[in-house]
Amino acid sequence: MNFSINTIMKGITASVFGATFLLSGGTAFADYSCKSATFIVPYSPGGGSDQMARRLVPGLEEALGVKVNIVYKTGGGGAVGFSELHRSDPDGCTFSNTVVPNVIISSKGDGVGYEAGDFEYIGMTESSAGTLMVPKDSKYQSIDSFVAAALENPGMLTVAGTGGSGLSRWKQLEEVLGIETTYVPVGGGVGKMIPMLAGSHIDGAATGANHATKHKAIVNSILVAGSNEVPTLPGIPNEPDWNYVITWGLMAPPGTPADVVETLNAAMNSAAQSSSVQEALIKGGYVPHNMSVAETNAFMDAEIAKYAD
Amino acid sequence: MIEAFYMAISPSYLMYMTIGVMLGLVVGTLPGLTATMGTALLVPFTFALPTGEGIAMLGGLYVCAMFSDAIPACLVNTPGTPAAMATGFDGYPMVKQGRGQEAIVAACFSSALGTIFGAACYLLLAWPMVSIALKFGPAQFFWLGVFALTIIGSLAGNSILKGIAGASIGIIISCIGISHAGEINRFTLNIPELRGGVSLVAALIGVFAVPQVFSMILNLKKQEFVAEYKPEKGVILKTIKKVLSAPVHFLRSAVIGSFIGILPGAGSPIAAIVSYNEAVRWSKDKSQYGKGDIRGVTASEIANNAAAPAAMIPLVTLGVPGSAPAAVIAGALMLRGLNPGPELFASNSALVYSFGWSLLIAGIVVFFVGMLATPLLVRVIKIPLRLLAPMIMFLAIIGAYAIRNNVFDVYLMLIIGVFVFLIRKLGFHPGPIGLGFILGPIIEPSLVQALYISHAVGVQKVFFTGSVNIILITISIVSVSAVAISRFRARRKSVLT
Repeated sequence: MNFSINTIMKGITASVFGATFLLSGGTAFADYSCKSATFIVPYSPGGGSDQMARRLVPGLEEALGVKVNIVYKTGGGGAVGFSELHRSDPDGCTFSNTVVPNVIISSKGDGVGYEAGDFEYIGMTESSAGTLMVPKDSKYQSIDSFVAAALENPGMLTVAGTGGSGLSRWKQLEEVLGIETTYVPVGGGVGKMIPMLAGSHIDGAATGANHATKHKAIVNSILVAGSNEVPTLPGIPNEPDWNYVITWGLMAPPGTPADVVETLNAAMNSAAQSSSVQEALIKGGYVPHNMSVAETNAFMDAEIAKYAD
Repeated sequence: MIEAFYMAISPSYLMYMTIGVMLGLVVGTLPGLTATMGTALLVPFTFALPTGEGIAMLGGLYVCAMFSDAIPACLVNTPGTPAAMATGFDGYPMVKQGRGQEAIVAACFSSALGTIFGAACYLLLAWPMVSIALKFGPAQFFWLGVFALTIIGSLAGNSILKGIAGASIGIIISCIGISHAGEINRFTLNIPELRGGVSLVAALIGVFAVPQVFSMILNLKKQEFVAEYKPEKGVILKTIKKVLSAPVHFLRSAVIGSFIGILPGAGSPIAAIVSYNEAVRWSKDKSQYGKGDIRGVTASEIANNAAAPAAMIPLVTLGVPGSAPAAVIAGALMLRGLNPGPELFASNSALVYSFGWSLLIAGIVVFFVGMLATPLLVRVIKIPLRLLAPMIMFLAIIGAYAIRNNVFDVYLMLIIGVFVFLIRKLGFHPGPIGLGFILGPIIEPSLVQALYISHAVGVQKVFFTGSVNIILITISIVSVSAVAISRFRARRKSVLT
């Protein structure tokens, strides 16, 4: 039995230390004038965006010298949180996760009240390549056998993806491979897709390599989008023409002053470049990024142009 | 597993788990502060602790919230979380009869037993149970939802038609917003806030709390308190004996709760509803259900508590959380660089099992914390209605706001509340409406997904093949016909006499 008065003391010391540190303000940027910051998470607690927020918050608090409060505004595939951010004061005290291309695709819904181009993008921290997964006991353990089966029986294979944005990404791979399948939309996060796949209720599922990595033990990956191998999914073939990449970052309300956005960018990058965050990202099947505001804007312009039709 | 047990009874595990339980008492009691929000708020504080203590604390909060949500359900007819809706069906009538202490003690003791049963499943049966859970795809979830809907027969009161209409209203309101499949705006009336849908928690507060406050205000002249309250000697032992004297009832509720708990996406509210329905079906004397039958309270509480530890089973075996609070606990583990699932089970089984033991011990702690708090909590009844009504209204508004930090949810809660108050006058029971809210988000997306899949492989194969489908369809039919037959008999009897 391990006796642990020590652990308790450690816990108490750590909490007290943490609290004093926050109160004293640490090594803060002098030009960040907010008393506290609000970090809007547009997806459910425990999900990918929540994970990202919680990974960054300790570093953000240290860099900005204020408490950063996470607030969940879930619903509508992110649209509720994004439109809430759009309505928030552009003072840099409120920012949110951004997920590309979700923020672009969701803005095309009627009456959403925002355009992807409206926001001030702070920076991008990580991305993950699209991955096609199959059940562990599937007959199709390679992309070739999957394609062969789909060609033999057009429309007979079922593939799940996340809602409407997943559909357009899957259709694009179908075109590249010249196959036809039945798409099954899953709402409310990738979490619901994994048991469907593990129980063989569907033949495949397309989502980010981060999920394929997390659930490696119960599902197999057979194809990765783009030209780069994902280190956590060794030996899985690439499809260079499948341009399914999910990128995560932070954004601020439209009209947030440029110098404040720069401050937030510096805070975000210092939080994201910490060794523990980098390690978590690489282990999780992500590609870490370190983007300046200018690089981020160039990236967003290109992404928005991709979906302009 | 023995080593894990010693970990779980070490002073630091016990201390943090107990703190979690006490926080859970507060979280569950306040409508709007659900177990999900409670655990999410607590996560950052657990980072100062070692992993085992951290998740034991979160687990303690979760299981205790599944008990304490029964407190407002019984005392003021407003479930503290959606899981306690079915508890209020009989809990509130009990309180009205002056049996407040008995209702709370029954809820507390059966919650403790349910938690222990669920945790025992976690420790002993995790792998066999999860292999059954994987048999549940979209079609099976659809049929489970349909089966849960048959509870309307047990709680519709005099009119089945009004019950069905009420549940339909609930399901339709739950469809508001961007659809899960296809992402189409439904019934949003061009109001941007409606795109995110009606929050289940805010809607349930509207259905139960607001009409309650209105009728309190209207009855102020006739009635000064919710009910009479006189502390009764020996009520604790008497109630415990009552619960223990029904082992079959306990086992049925606990098995249903644990089983539904492991299904990712179903969760404690549905466990409680199905368990309540089965309790009614298997009772010889059904006449007191809905009017203050203690078995109604225990059926619901045993099941929703057993479902909480059970929701951790798919998390530790597959890496897929069985409920929303389990998803938060999964997130807390991942932030520590641990990936819950088969690998963690293999590489760090001491952690996995010590968590199970902590949940089991939390069941015992819930009982003692609950017993200490009951005399205090029951005093709510002694607050004069002219003070209690505004207090409930205040908590309702805070709760509806807090769940998504959205003022719009407060307006929705009030609109739904006024609506339900009015149709209650027409003989509608609020139960089926709440049921529609809870089951709509299960039934509708699963139906759509199952239909997409059947587009490829055929309706017959998706909906009507496989043991799970057949069982769920059969028991749904049996359930509906049993209600029809008993209603028919009752009517004939009343015609004859």
